[in-house]
Amino acid sequence: MELFLHYLTMPYMIEGIQATLQVTALGLLGGLVLGVILAWMQLSRFKALASFARVYTVIFRGTPLILQMVFAYNALPQIGIKLPAILAAGLALACNEAPFIAEMLRSGVLGVDRGQVLAGQALGMTPGVLMRRIIAPQAIRSMIPAFGNETVSALKNSSLASVIAVQELTLRSTQMASATFDFFSIFFASGLIYLFLTAAIAGIQLFLEWLFDLDRASRQIKLLRLMPWYRAQGLDDRSAAAGDAPPEILPDAGVAELPPPRALSERVDRAKRSEILKRNNVAVDVAALRKSYDKQMVLAGVDLTVRIGEVIALLGPSGSGKSTLLRCINNLELWNEGSIKVGGRRLGFSDRGKALSPRLLAQARAEVGVGMVFQQFNLFGHLTAKENIAGPLRWVHGVSRIDADRRAAELLGRVGLSHRADALPRHLSGGQQQRVAIARAIAPNPSVLLLDEPTSALDPELVNEVLEVIRRLAVEDGLTMIISTHQLRFASEVADRVVLLADGAIVEEGPADEVLSNPRNPVAQRFLNAMEAEVA
Amino acid sequence: MVTLSFPRTYKLIHIAALGALLVVGVGAPTIARAAAPAACAELQAKYPDWKGKTLVNAINPHTPGYESIDPKDPNKYVGFDIDLGEQIGECLGFKLTYKAVTFAALLTTLSSGQADIVISDIYATEERAKAADFITYSKVFDGVLVAKGNPKKITGINTSMCGAAAAENTGYVEVPLIQALVGECKKEGKAEPTIQLYDNNANCIQAILAGRADTYVNDVNTVDNAVKAYPDKLEKAIAVTIPYKVGIAVPKDKPAFRDAVKAALTEIYKSGDQLALLKKWNLDPENLIEPGLLMVK
Repeated sequence: MELFLHYLTMPYMIEGIQATLQVTALGLLGGLVLGVILAWMQLSRFKALASFARVYTVIFRGTPLILQMVFAYNALPQIGIKLPAILAAGLALACNEAPFIAEMLRSGVLGVDRGQVLAGQALGMTPGVLMRRIIAPQAIRSMIPAFGNETVSALKNSSLASVIAVQELTLRSTQMASATFDFFSIFFASGLIYLFLTAAIAGIQLFLEWLFDLDRASRQIKLLRLMPWYRAQGLDDRSAAAGDAPPEILPDAGVAELPPPRALSERVDRAKRSEILKRNNVAVDVAALRKSYDKQMVLAGVDLTVRIGEVIALLGPSGSGKSTLLRCINNLELWNEGSIKVGGRRLGFSDRGKALSPRLLAQARAEVGVGMVFQQFNLFGHLTAKENIAGPLRWVHGVSRIDADRRAAELLGRVGLSHRADALPRHLSGGQQQRVAIARAIAPNPSVLLLDEPTSALDPELVNEVLEVIRRLAVEDGLTMIISTHQLRFASEVADRVVLLADGAIVEEGPADEVLSNPRNPVAQRFLNAMEAEVA
Repeated sequence: MVTLSFPRTYKLIHIAALGALLVVGVGAPTIARAAAPAACAELQAKYPDWKGKTLVNAINPHTPGYESIDPKDPNKYVGFDIDLGEQIGECLGFKLTYKAVTFAALLTTLSSGQADIVISDIYATEERAKAADFITYSKVFDGVLVAKGNPKKITGINTSMCGAAAAENTGYVEVPLIQALVGECKKEGKAEPTIQLYDNNANCIQAILAGRADTYVNDVNTVDNAVKAYPDKLEKAIAVTIPYKVGIAVPKDKPAFRDAVKAALTEIYKSGDQLALLKKWNLDPENLIEPGLLMVK
């Protein structure tokens, strides 16, 4: 015991920790830099970069670290690169860690909800903004535990640097054992030192998890979270974590949350309105649009002209191509033939007809102004309701913080959610989330708003509040909208024109009341009958 | 007295600081030195290239008596080889720092340029001389280490080892000698000896203590030290002579350095300093030989 304590506190051993930590730090930081590059290459749209990264991963993940250490130390000098032992060990460890860290980063990035990425693109975020503001903050949270593991494994792997004469803890322990024959006291001591170090890493990991925890609420829970038993019991589950924290989802009061309507509630004469709309400029012009996935035809030559201020209801059975058409209009998907113009401009192509890079495309999207609302809301999970609206205004449109906040507050008021401005999406009901999503989409004053089955994912009692918000946008703002929906009554009330899509083609088109009450096409008749039967 | 408690406090702070900080650079061990023979002045005039330089000596510091860390001051390496290297350095006017590597890595460290010289109780064999030039300086006597009572009745590197497990260091010359027994054992209808390869002496000795290996053949002084450390558990079965000499390894592409080291070693031999060193480290004076060369193309 005395010997054990003697070696535990021996400066010679403690100094060995220094080298151990140096190699670990070099390996981790270098691995992080290399890992970011590798992950970027793997996620890149350029095939050559991705395959290079794959080859690197195969080599460095598939060979033992001890060989890489010896290689960095003894083989690199043959080509004139003679690194000091610590740097050689750090280099080998970094090269070895890189593929693992890259995988962590990649899975973290891919783990971020695809819908949020789509929503970010639709809002006109460039790939860089999307990565920095939406993907990275959420990916990092999910990667902390994996990174903790990686750090512990790097620390232990640093002991292999003993084979290339790095005076780290393990090498010093064996040298001491050789000189004194006190084999066991020495190795128990160095084992305990390693345990101290890994425990410290675990502590840092827990702290970071706490720090990045979105739900960090009451002070008591903050402290409790640091305790291992708290984690072991799984008390992070919603039900148990409540305590004195506010209930996670406040009741949704539905339509009653909305402010009183501003405009006249009686409908304008439809015929008169239709006459006025006909004279308006064209907002969206889709011509002979064709698209297929592999050999499956999704859009088989769609022509559609939407005038400014017009509200189009896009009806049709599932798989008829409604969503695809909307995504094509916003350039979230590519098509095979035909053209789409928004505000007279060909989105997605330069003036010379060349396809734009993702960054330029994002800018074009923001300039032309096509807003999009998704079936699954796709709010940014790490941002409050207010930030979901204000953030994109600042990042995409360069609006100042004050103005963006003012605009967000105003829109939240309009959708009846001023009282939930600071709530995270997960603490909002589906109807509330969709109202925030609508506010987010109209915040930059888009020229067209596309709504992709905005109420299909909602519980029946939450549908009305969302429809009411959309109705007011049409009536009060005269916003140009294309809505794909299954809500026939809503379509007949709000839409100027109904477009019925089946098997990728428009089978019936015309004023809402005509098409819905008296369809001519047999496919349309069958579909509308089925829909009405379901409603009844 | 109050002041007595200060060093301990300081130590704790020191430990904490070291744990927290990442400071590059580990202090090189320093060694006490003996006086250089007079003829060294002439040698320094003849071989001026290394005067005032600091060279790197690659060692495998797991052989107490020849080279190991000093348990009292672990930042120092001590032993016969260490002192001998320092005397050569003093004679030619250079200083030495040390690089501790595994035994098997000694010559690769030298040939990759990570070290300038290897003085680490390494036996000069033809095979090794393909990788480095050797200046020989000592005879080799090996001891056969066995568990107390020599349960397998091992009597040397001979058929008494058939069926036994021998612990050896990776790269040691004893490895092929024991491997050569395979044929003889077969002829006598006995089981083959097995070899367990480890990284250093401590592990080989532990293998016997743990009952994993039956014997460990190495330099007799190392074996004697092991027996001294575990007198109740280990014993030396026998001492054997091995047909090799111990040598200092230098790069093949530096003949002038080789000649300078050999000349300096010869002066140390002639002056009686080498014999004095053997006595200082309790090594058998029988080891002493006049410096020679082992080189192969």
